[in-house]
Amino acid sequence: MWETIIVNPFTNVLLLIYKLIGGNFGIAIILFTILIRVITHPLMASQIKSSTKMTQFQQSKQWQDIQKKYKGDKEKLAQEQMNLYKELGISPFASCLPSLIQIPLIFGLYQSIMRALAASPAQLLILTRVVYSFLPISNLVPLNSQFLWMNLGQPERVYLFGFGVPLLAVIVALTTYVQSKVTMPASTNPGDQGAMMNKMMALYMPLLLGYFALTFASGLSIYFITGNLIGIAQYALLGKVNWRAVIPGYKPETTVLARNK
Amino acid sequence: MKTKYLLLIGLALVLGGLLGGCATGLTASSWPGVTADKNNAYIAGNQFVYAVNLQTGVEVWRFPAKASSSPFYATPNLTPDGQLIVGGFDHKLYSLNTQSGAQNWVFDQAKDRWIGGVLVTADTIYAPNADYNIYAVSFTGTLKWVTPFQADQAIWGAPVSDGTNVYFGTLGRHVYAVNAQTGREVWEQTVNGAILGSPVLGLNNTLYVGTYGGELASLNTGNGQILQQQITSSWIWTGPAQDGTDVYAGDANGMFYAFPMTGAGQPWTQQLNGAIIGSPLVMGTTIIVATESGNVYFMDNTGQNVRSVALTGKIYATPAAAGTLVLVAPTGGGNTLVALDLTGAIKWSYTAK
Repeated sequence: MWETIIVNPFTNVLLLIYKLIGGNFGIAIILFTILIRVITHPLMASQIKSSTKMTQFQQSKQWQDIQKKYKGDKEKLAQEQMNLYKELGISPFASCLPSLIQIPLIFGLYQSIMRALAASPAQLLILTRVVYSFLPISNLVPLNSQFLWMNLGQPERVYLFGFGVPLLAVIVALTTYVQSKVTMPASTNPGDQGAMMNKMMALYMPLLLGYFALTFASGLSIYFITGNLIGIAQYALLGKVNWRAVIPGYKPETTVLARNK
Repeated sequence: MKTKYLLLIGLALVLGGLLGGCATGLTASSWPGVTADKNNAYIAGNQFVYAVNLQTGVEVWRFPAKASSSPFYATPNLTPDGQLIVGGFDHKLYSLNTQSGAQNWVFDQAKDRWIGGVLVTADTIYAPNADYNIYAVSFTGTLKWVTPFQADQAIWGAPVSDGTNVYFGTLGRHVYAVNAQTGREVWEQTVNGAILGSPVLGLNNTLYVGTYGGELASLNTGNGQILQQQITSSWIWTGPAQDGTDVYAGDANGMFYAFPMTGAGQPWTQQLNGAIIGSPLVMGTTIIVATESGNVYFMDNTGQNVRSVALTGKIYATPAAAGTLVLVAPTGGGNTLVALDLTGAIKWSYTAK
């Protein structure tokens, strides 16, 4: 089921792009990432909208009043929170759904990359059998796994004076950090749990993805980097990028709601 | 808030676990390689290399003592002085003592996996690596030469030699001849598809290669010129075999072919059940072919008297001969190795515990 719905179509699309662009698997991964991002753009736009609403909610006087009122009654506070969500048309899960969708995409893409590169006879046999008939597999195999200085099927290292430097892992961590910071909704409310969560995410996600880039095939890192850059571009297109957020010590001046009022 | 952190950490662990599991699963997948001497059968199968007594089917030893994190799938080969040579996915080529399984030496200068078996001559091991090179190694594990040029792609099949040159095919659709003493290129030729298995030398300075493009090509060993291209109904996986009269090859559609190596004789075909992945095995006048469907076919060298035995599991590995026994290593059927006689009767089976 997983293979039929995700891995096999991903593998075939990757191979089709690879064939159309004349045999560069790195570029194929980049184009494939762009394709995925274009397809999931409505979800991303909805996520941005939802997280903006959520930030406004967290900073609203109504919510702060409710928090004060039901400070000692967690059950009532939760009930009132849900009522307020309903009243303002906020879905608490809408902002995290697109992020969750990324997980199967990452997993599927990784499997597709490894499958397409077919580094052993058994892998090549599987690849041969999952490629759709319109793709001339015997002309495509073996795929060129070299892209710039990388072997896309192996974790990347740049050797300097005998030491393997994981340059790509650093770039993955850096672009993930920048993306998290510039796309993070501004908040001045010290009790804003969403903002605190975002701050933690901005810290942990670069480390997590950087670790993946360090450990797994560099083709996955190409996906992460491309995805991060496109993510920033998508936010920029919707006017939601805050470049000043990457400056150390930056503090937002006013809350969104206060400005709207 | 605590719950959200736990959820985030949980998701990260799940993702990491899935990716890790996926990577491991993919790297650790192939089918076994089998060979035999007069005492034991040797199987390179996943985490171990096993020696199994040919008379009893009982395990004699396994290497390494503890399961290797990097698997062995390359067909093991024997040297004239009794060493068992086997390459691993850990980029290392091992020499093992055939009596005890003890490690004699390790050659670790290759940069990629050992997918195919090696060619052993009177004094040299010619080992093909996925790093696009052939390594000529002495029987003490020292490097004699590495091809001074890089082939165009990975080499998955064992080379062959006529004493003067060493011949091998690559995944990049090239056949190379290199000098057996120096490794210098003598010629190269392009064929219509990747070469996944070994070439075979025929009569009158002819070299045969099966291709992933679906043909059996014959080349002049002197200059690499293509002499004939026999089109097959699908890709040929492992290399062909020959018996001095005909050259035999099977394809992914289960079609088995015999092409005469001289003008005399007629080509013939047999439709078998299941894809033919391993090379055919020639034992005297009997041809043995194993198919993915788990069948082992026995036929005479005219394509007549076809009989078969069905084993549990799939068969991708090339069968090996051990005296009058045929050794077959199925995948996924429970048995690690099955010994059959030429009538197809099972003499014993061995299951690695």
